[in-house]
Amino acid sequence: MNFKVRAARKEDCKDISRMIMELAVYEKMPEQVKISNEELERDGFSPNPFFQCLIAEVSDENMTTDGYTVVGYALYFYTYSTWEGRSVFMEDLYVMPDFRGKGIGKGLLAKVAQVGVEKQCVRLQFSVLEWNKPSLDFYIAKGAVDLTAKEGWHNLRFYGQALDQLAKEAPNN
Amino acid sequence: MDFTICPATLDDCKDISRMILELAEHEKVLDQIKVTQEDLEKDGFIKNPFFHGVVVEVPDEHRSKEGHTKVGYALYFYSYSSWKGRAVYMEDLYVMPEFRGKGIGKALMSKVAQMGLAAGCSLLNFCVLDWNKPSLDFYLSQGCLNTTADMGYQFMRCEGVALEKLAKGGT
Repeated sequence: MNFKVRAARKEDCKDISRMIMELAVYEKMPEQVKISNEELERDGFSPNPFFQCLIAEVSDENMTTDGYTVVGYALYFYTYSTWEGRSVFMEDLYVMPDFRGKGIGKGLLAKVAQVGVEKQCVRLQFSVLEWNKPSLDFYIAKGAVDLTAKEGWHNLRFYGQALDQLAKEAPNN
Repeated sequence: MDFTICPATLDDCKDISRMILELAEHEKVLDQIKVTQEDLEKDGFIKNPFFHGVVVEVPDEHRSKEGHTKVGYALYFYSYSSWKGRAVYMEDLYVMPEFRGKGIGKALMSKVAQMGLAAGCSLLNFCVLDWNKPSLDFYLSQGCLNTTADMGYQFMRCEGVALEKLAKGGT
């Protein structure tokens, strides 16, 4: 099946929002999705965007039963390692179930890597849920290393009241 | 001890680079540091910077044994959660050994949280090694969620030859 991977445009946010929810359902946490496509438009398409996004698109004759031609996306942003320098973090990679097994996921992932390497990034990082064996196998086959398993890295998070409280304690100088 | 915390400027890159190397030497990984002062100047102070920093300064009378008044830093960048929106990630937090135990580390982290909230972020993320029980216990006591232990998120990385190969597969 022919498909195209391209940079997302502001008008793609409706489709991206739809697929974010589909991915959350797959990850068994749909109740965790709090943002809207208006926030995506604001945060991804400003002069200093919080994220970048790539879209996988099929031609009209291959559209989904609901009439969608945008069938996958990868959302990423640039990060920094004080040891190695410029890096990229891939927050999401998703392909609609009916379009899997056709190289679209690989195409999106490779394009994120290509964009990162062009910007002189030396690392591509992302998270995968430990029970998600198909995804873990996919990434490990591509040469990714599980740093949680190998080196014991855990991601910690401040949010809600704990984050507010922490911020209140900042010195006022 | 009095100290101030200010956003890092181009001039601070010399001290930040020094402190990155101090920490690396302490952790016996000096040979793994590829980032130079010039890299920090280039990557942190362009139109769309790769990171932001905050630096701790003490008055002259409290300067370090070697004469430094810049004695700690935190390096962070903005990130994004497709579920929650704007987020901030704290990559480094460091205080020179002789200035520890004075609340400087906590103040640095609070400053990053404050900057994040001001930018509309609702999450502050960072990594801790699983064997570092004192740090893990401290952060959990502050109300942190461990998304690896509690939600099962594994942190993955692709680099070197694997990354180049992957990038070549992009159309």
